[in-house]
Amino acid sequence: MRNNRGSVAIALAAALVVLAGAPVFSDGIYAAAAAASAQDDWKKEFEDICSKTQDSMSFTPDELKSLVGRCDALKPRVEKLEETQRKVYLKRLQMCRDLLAFVLESKTGK
Amino acid sequence: MDYLQRIVILLILLLASFDEADARRIVAPHNYGRVIIANYSERAGLAPVVFNHWVHRAQYTCRLCHVDIGFAMEKGATKITAATNKQGLYCGSCHNGKYTYNGKTVFASCSGTTSRNDAVCERCHSLKKNSDNEGEFKVFMEKMPRKALGNGIDWEAAESSGLIKPIDFLEGVSVQRPPIKAQKDFSIEANVAWMSDVIFSHKKHAFWNGCEVCHPEIFPIKKGATRYTMLEIDSGEYCGVCHDKVAFPILDCQRCHTGAIY
Repeated sequence: MRNNRGSVAIALAAALVVLAGAPVFSDGIYAAAAAASAQDDWKKEFEDICSKTQDSMSFTPDELKSLVGRCDALKPRVEKLEETQRKVYLKRLQMCRDLLAFVLESKTGK
Repeated sequence: MDYLQRIVILLILLLASFDEADARRIVAPHNYGRVIIANYSERAGLAPVVFNHWVHRAQYTCRLCHVDIGFAMEKGATKITAATNKQGLYCGSCHNGKYTYNGKTVFASCSGTTSRNDAVCERCHSLKKNSDNEGEFKVFMEKMPRKALGNGIDWEAAESSGLIKPIDFLEGVSVQRPPIKAQKDFSIEANVAWMSDVIFSHKKHAFWNGCEVCHPEIFPIKKGATRYTMLEIDSGEYCGVCHDKVAFPILDCQRCHTGAIY
């Protein structure tokens, strides 16, 4: 019974907040959420590219070129990270890129 | 010239080329692979860090630390700071007081959260401090397969027999990857007629190193495109980046030149 009353009270409070248009989600929170999302985006891209290094010998030259291109496109985004993260992830991205470029070179002979 | 005479000449040549620098390279098994990290410690009023490779390679692959965590292969090049550790990078990837190994919490690095020179700091900042590296190594070594030189441990046999199970993935740090498709073994032709060729095992190396540790930074070459020499290896290039520092020393000729020597 007590729990039901609590749930009703929470629902009412939430409804009032929405109806009153209270600034629960201020610009700051939106900005923080967007920043977190942007961070996730670069990391997802990083993980997607770098998860492929161990398979690199099985890719075609075109697939390898595309992966190298994605590394190059990701680099400016990693460069915008805070100093220590930038240092670590730029090195990791460079290692990924170098390996993919190395395999590409060994496959195309260029 | 018979086989024995050739061996004697080889030994004489080895002894003749043995100098003070070589003497410095011969270290006790528990200190083999030891790295002193002294970029910032002394300025911060702490002893330099003594990093023992044997402790870490018993638990993790080389790839995990040198690719996923991002430690440089060159001594002192990573420039680890208390700030990087505090952010969960470099040593702080594991030494964060939360990460557990074998059910035990790995101690946190002293990233400004502990007072100076206390027992926590001195677990790593331990140069010229009381550390029982030798005693701990002896206990560990007792269960390990032996091999001459270096640490005196046959790390490859330790791994293949399941005595050690090096971890290759760290949650939140490593990237999920499919298992590596090892490339074929190949032979590397010896530069001199009296030495046997090297049978290079990609499989053995890839288990510890993955691809990126070696290619292209250490080996930026296509198979057979460049001939490198033992002199280059001895000066720390190519195989010498690891062998003679952490992996078994190059004095152990027949670990690589596996065929008969004439």
